Amino acid sequence: MALPLPPGLTPSEMAFLCEMELVTVIPRQRLEGLELLGGPTQPLNPPFPAPLPLWLALLLKRQRRANIRTPPWLRPDSLAAILEFETDTAKEAFSPPPNLPPPTTTSLHVDQTTAYLPATATTLELSPPFLQNSTTSAPPDALPYHWLELSQLLLAAAPDDFEDPDSVRRLLRDLREVRMAKLRKGIEVLDAGAGIKMNGVGGMEIAESRAFIGGVVDGLRYVPSMRSMELWGGGGGGSLCGTE
Amino acid sequence: MAALRGRPAHSPGPTYLAYTPNGKKLITVGLNSALRVFQHGSTNEPTIIDVVTDGHTAVVATNDFIVVGAEDGSVTKYSLLTNSMEEILVRSSLPIRDLSLSKDGEWVAVASDELEVKVVNTRDMTRIMHLREQSRPVKHVAFDISGSMIAVSCTDGIVYMYSLSSEQPQLVKRVDGLIKTLETDAEASAKIAWHPDGRAFAAPTSTKDIQCVARSDWARQKAFTGGHRADISAVAWSPNGALFATAGVDKSLCLWETRSQRLLKTFEDIQNTILAIDWHPTDNVCSYTNSNGELFIREGFVPGEHAKHLRIALQPSPMNSDPLSEVSGNARKPLAKGDKHGGSRGGAEENYLDDLLGPDAMSEDEAGFIEDDDGAGYAEEVNNFGKRSANGIPGRPAKRFEPYSAWQPQVHEAFQPGSTPWRGDRRYLCLNLTGFVWTVSQDTHHTVTVEFHDRQEHRDFHFTDPYKYDKASLNEKGTLFSCRPSIQSQQRAILYYRPHETWTTRTEWKTQLPPGEEVISMSLSESCIVAMTSKGYVRIYSLFGLPLKVYRQKSMPAVACASFRDYVMTIGNGAIGGDGTTQMRYTIDNIRRDESCQNEDAVALPGGTQLRNVFFSDKGDPCIYDTDGVLLILLHWRTPGQAKWVPLLDTKTLDRLASGRKDETYWPVAVANNKFHCIILKGGDAYPHFPRPLLVDFDFKIPVSSMAAGAAEGDEGELAQVKALEESYVRASLQHSLVQDLVENTNATNAQKAEVPMLEREVDKALLQLLAAECREGEERGMKALEIAALMRDRSGKMLEAAGKIAARFQRDILGEKITQLAERRLVGLVDDEDM
Repeated sequence: MALPLPPGLTPSEMAFLCEMELVTVIPRQRLEGLELLGGPTQPLNPPFPAPLPLWLALLLKRQRRANIRTPPWLRPDSLAAILEFETDTAKEAFSPPPNLPPPTTTSLHVDQTTAYLPATATTLELSPPFLQNSTTSAPPDALPYHWLELSQLLLAAAPDDFEDPDSVRRLLRDLREVRMAKLRKGIEVLDAGAGIKMNGVGGMEIAESRAFIGGVVDGLRYVPSMRSMELWGGGGGGSLCGTE
Repeated sequence: MAALRGRPAHSPGPTYLAYTPNGKKLITVGLNSALRVFQHGSTNEPTIIDVVTDGHTAVVATNDFIVVGAEDGSVTKYSLLTNSMEEILVRSSLPIRDLSLSKDGEWVAVASDELEVKVVNTRDMTRIMHLREQSRPVKHVAFDISGSMIAVSCTDGIVYMYSLSSEQPQLVKRVDGLIKTLETDAEASAKIAWHPDGRAFAAPTSTKDIQCVARSDWARQKAFTGGHRADISAVAWSPNGALFATAGVDKSLCLWETRSQRLLKTFEDIQNTILAIDWHPTDNVCSYTNSNGELFIREGFVPGEHAKHLRIALQPSPMNSDPLSEVSGNARKPLAKGDKHGGSRGGAEENYLDDLLGPDAMSEDEAGFIEDDDGAGYAEEVNNFGKRSANGIPGRPAKRFEPYSAWQPQVHEAFQPGSTPWRGDRRYLCLNLTGFVWTVSQDTHHTVTVEFHDRQEHRDFHFTDPYKYDKASLNEKGTLFSCRPSIQSQQRAILYYRPHETWTTRTEWKTQLPPGEEVISMSLSESCIVAMTSKGYVRIYSLFGLPLKVYRQKSMPAVACASFRDYVMTIGNGAIGGDGTTQMRYTIDNIRRDESCQNEDAVALPGGTQLRNVFFSDKGDPCIYDTDGVLLILLHWRTPGQAKWVPLLDTKTLDRLASGRKDETYWPVAVANNKFHCIILKGGDAYPHFPRPLLVDFDFKIPVSSMAAGAAEGDEGELAQVKALEESYVRASLQHSLVQDLVENTNATNAQKAEVPMLEREVDKALLQLLAAECREGEERGMKALEIAALMRDRSGKMLEAAGKIAARFQRDILGEKITQLAERRLVGLVDDEDM
């Protein structure tokens, strides 16, 4: 039985994946380290901040056992700077994603005595959610992959931890509209074989526009074939559409 | 009184006046087209300057010229030397409402019914600055004393503060809810009056009071209340700021004393609303003009019994609390400007000064720097200005006293670690990793709130505090408070300890110090309470209030203290160094074993820096943080004479400041988990404030080299990496020796003992990485590489074996051989430490 879902990840699945991102919390009570499937967590010891997966942080926040530190890029001034970059400097392009850290070795528990040696051939490029892009150590000038869903979740669950939640909301909406407009605009240039550069586009934005872009590209694929039909005999286009 | 009859100066209508700064002339302007210049002290008819404008609304004066604004929108400059018009400075399309002149007479600010305020240069009228932030017409403008700031009272009820120190005027602050919303032509006034000491200004409020506001933080300070039943129409500080005259639209005129905000006199004989008041710069004369074209020059304005207020030096503005004197028990009263020869004044005035600044004005008699212990009288009691009084020798020339009072050693002020001064009506008494204690002043009492970071472990509490506790110390076990003695209520200084948890009834206790003794700094540890008092005693109590020890500190006056378990660290001012500043000395004692770990050793601070905070790290090592932003830890302090201060972090070299765009300083909180915990202060703040800022932590970075890590690519980047490795080696060795000290000198736990070999490995790891970097550089660096290998601490030979592997990997065969030799020598016990 076929799954009645469109191909690719749906927005809700994206939001679910986003909950694996690490965020920094300031615990308000002690908690021993937990052995989770995603790896062990640090023991919580107020007032020392600790990185926790977002889902656990939201759970603790709802029970008022922790405060979530907003990542640096989610501050009003950083967002304003990114928005300015998007509108004035970047033109067609999107603001670049955070720099990737240097690749690490695959084995997580490296023998202590050989750790000084240069990395061996088996290296691994990390990707979200294993990048610490939403903790307080994240760069302030780049939107990470899960920026949209993460900020929505934080604004919904922990608005009191923001300096100025209303202006953050406003800036996020502006950013989202600017970037969505760019994505739509990119579709205009789509032609057979053409592409748009999607560097820096967030996961949720892709998930949202996947159906639309996919539809457009699919439609465009038929257009050249329609043209050739017309060249051959004409009038075939209508029947082609009919058979679709 | 001679001049109660008003002088009809102008045709009936709004009239304004201004004294020239030298007090020789008084200028009035009014409805008719003439300006009048009165000579001070003369009853002759005034000089009249006929002008073309009428309906004048404002006048300001320097000794040489006056600037007059009129309803036709012109701002005209007239010379007082020739009594004629010089030039029109600026012309506005709408009526002028107010003028203000900077103290140097260079700039005049013009408020008109137009939206923007123009600031015009009086010499060169082409130089104009525009203040454009306000949304409605402006009623008043007022330059502050320094001329660098201008207060604009707008008709939207907001006071806009502009800074003129830069090329472009900058809006510094909108002070909302202070003044009333008024029409530009209303009789009532919203004019800001800067206090002559420049630290505060007064503004008429909608509640018909006059509110003082501090310039530093825009917090409301004292207020002059209850004098007027209608809106205020004019205010003026006396030239020395000790008195304050206000007038209301209900034809009232009041005279206030600044220090106590007491109403000295209400004048009953006012016929018309007073629109402008000005004090004569030197004499006991105050003049005012009213809405009926009349001028009153009131000689003997201040009644006889209060006239001495006019003769004293510049008085401080009425602040809720003086931040400086509030933190430190032995702060000296800041020397008032213009009182350099205070000692040479007449005896009566000197006495008056003393009782004016009486016991509640931070008397420091008990905390004198020199103890007159043999009664020889070489240490005269200093008065509150920090000078010796001249009561006994009236009339002597001041010169004779200069040698005595010219130089005084600079004493480090005492502070309570973790506390902040008053800002507005609240302050932190203690701020650390356990929680924070803050107090709110409610005039008659304070309310104290204690909040914890760990809400599960401890419950926050809150109480009303009639004693006005001014110091607090908080840890996991309890909270310690202390209050100052009060002369009025005969209250002695109190120490109050409140444990957080008990298994019997709550065992909180209070103890009183002997009369006249005051707590200068105190600290609370897990096993004892330490209080340094103004008499130079160190008093140590158990947690249940049992006095354990009393001894006198060797270096006085005291500065601060800190404690950790049984270790007590006291800091005091020691001998005077070459720069006239005292050298701070610290002593560390173990209370239980009754032995001194360090005795009167120096607190290593370079010249010009002050101590910001002192505390013990979570591992129990003393740390200090200085005003240069350097965090230092004390190494080898358990052995007498071995202690040395080692820098852990220089916050000026932090990566986050490397861009040069951030202007921030750090307020130290604690050292824990091998991190420095602090609060980031932005915009030139010196102390954290409400709402409670977040704690931020930084890793240690010993200032070994100035290379910013990761600054550049390629060769530069590699060099930076080597520098970072070098730093990590020094840091690891420091941590290793700190822990080794701890393990050797105390009953260390197993975990602590296990830490030593672990840190040893850290050191060796840093060395191995350095070795690899050297090997990569080339064969010629072999000597240095061998030196690095010889520094390895590991005695099992495993690390040297790894070093050999590295050498082999980079095909440095000679180096490899040497390392193998070294390993062999070590293995057979030929320890080569001495050879090196």
